Amino acid sequence: MVQQANHPLPPAFQLDEYRIEQQLSLGGFSIVYVAIDSQGTRVAIKEYLPNTLALRGEGRTAPVIAEDHLPAFRYGMKCFFEEGRALAGLSHPNVIRVLNFFRANETVYMVMEYEHGRTLQELIQKNRAGVTENFIRNVFTKMLNGLREVHSHRLLHLDLKPSNIYMRNNHVPVLIDFGAARQTLACDTPMLKPMYTPGFASPEHYNQRDLLGPWSDIYSVGASMYACIAGSTPQAADARLERDRLVPAMVRWEGQYSDQLLETIDWCLCLNHRYRPQSVFALQKALTEPVIAPVPRLPPKETWLGQMVGKLKKSRNP
Amino acid sequence: MKFTIYQESRTGKRANNEDRLAHCYSRDSLLLVVADGMGGHYYGEVAAQIAVQTVTEAFQREVRTRIRDPFLFLQKGMLNAHRGILDFAGKHRLADSPRTTCVACIVQNNIAYWAHSGDSRLYLLRKGRVLAQTKDHSRVRLLLEQGVISEDEARDHPDRNKIYGCLGGQQTPEIEFSHKTTLEAEDVLVLCTDGVWSGLPGPILAASLKTGNLMRTVPLLLGQAETRGGPQADNLSMIAVRWQDSYVDESSGSSSLISTKSMSRDTVTTRMAGFGRNPGQKTELSEEEIELAIEEIRSTIQKYSK
Repeated sequence: MVQQANHPLPPAFQLDEYRIEQQLSLGGFSIVYVAIDSQGTRVAIKEYLPNTLALRGEGRTAPVIAEDHLPAFRYGMKCFFEEGRALAGLSHPNVIRVLNFFRANETVYMVMEYEHGRTLQELIQKNRAGVTENFIRNVFTKMLNGLREVHSHRLLHLDLKPSNIYMRNNHVPVLIDFGAARQTLACDTPMLKPMYTPGFASPEHYNQRDLLGPWSDIYSVGASMYACIAGSTPQAADARLERDRLVPAMVRWEGQYSDQLLETIDWCLCLNHRYRPQSVFALQKALTEPVIAPVPRLPPKETWLGQMVGKLKKSRNP
Repeated sequence: MKFTIYQESRTGKRANNEDRLAHCYSRDSLLLVVADGMGGHYYGEVAAQIAVQTVTEAFQREVRTRIRDPFLFLQKGMLNAHRGILDFAGKHRLADSPRTTCVACIVQNNIAYWAHSGDSRLYLLRKGRVLAQTKDHSRVRLLLEQGVISEDEARDHPDRNKIYGCLGGQQTPEIEFSHKTTLEAEDVLVLCTDGVWSGLPGPILAASLKTGNLMRTVPLLLGQAETRGGPQADNLSMIAVRWQDSYVDESSGSSSLISTKSMSRDTVTTRMAGFGRNPGQKTELSEEEIELAIEEIRSTIQKYSK
């Protein structure tokens, strides 16, 4: 699929009351910039610009939108508004804050707080040794506070993954990018496909979108925890449905992490949505349960897989 | 509330489209209206427009997330439309007041309330079957009920367009109300004019709308009905709504799923067919709606920022 990329607004561009510093990321649906507001505070600005529908040439500010793309463009804008609405009504330390929303250059912009830090993805890539049992429990328990808030507003995130979990420098995780949360776009606007990330998206994401629920985000949480420990993306759910080659966490890392944590990860990664934790609360409970760590050999947990594999690894202590 | 909705109106083979349709919704309440201006009468188009506009404007005015008494609302709305049409006729010294059918439905708290006058219909479809439908206020319907004529005879009866009890006529309109009907997920509500139902038997309608994308199915059905209408095909209008459970996301094959959860308390979104001939191509958001949406998000941000 060859797609022309949109040109970002140039550095030092004055956008409403904000001055753009640089482009932070470029997605199919939007561009994110770092900018400075009139008080000198750094903010992140997300620009609605689906590159299949609107094209901005180099040196231009307004995108070119073909007339027959205008309905779809406007329709996508509606979804962008819904992301804004969803976030504006959420005030939680573990969910990104929206500061402003405005219209310019024939499109719309969402201003969000900008925090020093990096995504969980970057963090685990940089510091593999730091992914300890405590780190995982800490980060995910806090992150799940945010997700709980999201679910309590009857919203789903639908694109949870380590690169959408932002770690403030004080190691408080923040959920970012709710672009998929309200991605209610469908075949009638084929230019705007539902978004998800293979490896983190639940089986329901692929073909049974009417079954999406809190358990779908929970699958993604499980996949994210798995990815943190493995250092790579787990097998995609659609491929797992064909032939499941995902080695259970319990098998792969027994002895390095508590059985209880590993079982919780495997629990989240059940292909059948009914077998997963059904609510964030249930998952949080599992993550905060007191555990005999760090060399956990809980007597009743003698699964056959556990017996087969982990025995050799007992000595390593994360 | 979550639902998918699609509405379309076609002129058929007539010179003019005298059908009107609209839907609007607040966070917790949905209104659907279809009106069919009387063909033989002058200004049928205006009568239908008055009906649809009167009811939707009342909705926008009165809805406080919900409508307090839906049946009362429907009755008042239709009677006001009736008077509005008479006023119009008086003002323009029309010898014969234009008339219109009207069918309107409110859904809130998962309960549907509907009322109708004339021969525009509402169907409630569940699991591919017709669960309920309105009874036409037409002479043919009466003859059919009395056993004077058969279904087949009714279809081609010379009086099949003779209706009574519509808005704008000499008499106070006859308005018939439904029961309160609880909707289940995947239920489909269809409101349509006679141009549609005369060419599409209820069971076929129900089977066709059982699953699938309304955005694709409804135009197909209208196409079928139009073909059956032949060279004289009447105006055809239809609103179809598929009711959904709260957590349901966009299923890959359906049209725009609307979730009112993130709507603000006092917003009402309205889609009125007006004089548009091609709603499928219509822009989803007007300039005004964009401004409103931004205003709303900003005020929410303000509310939570302190």
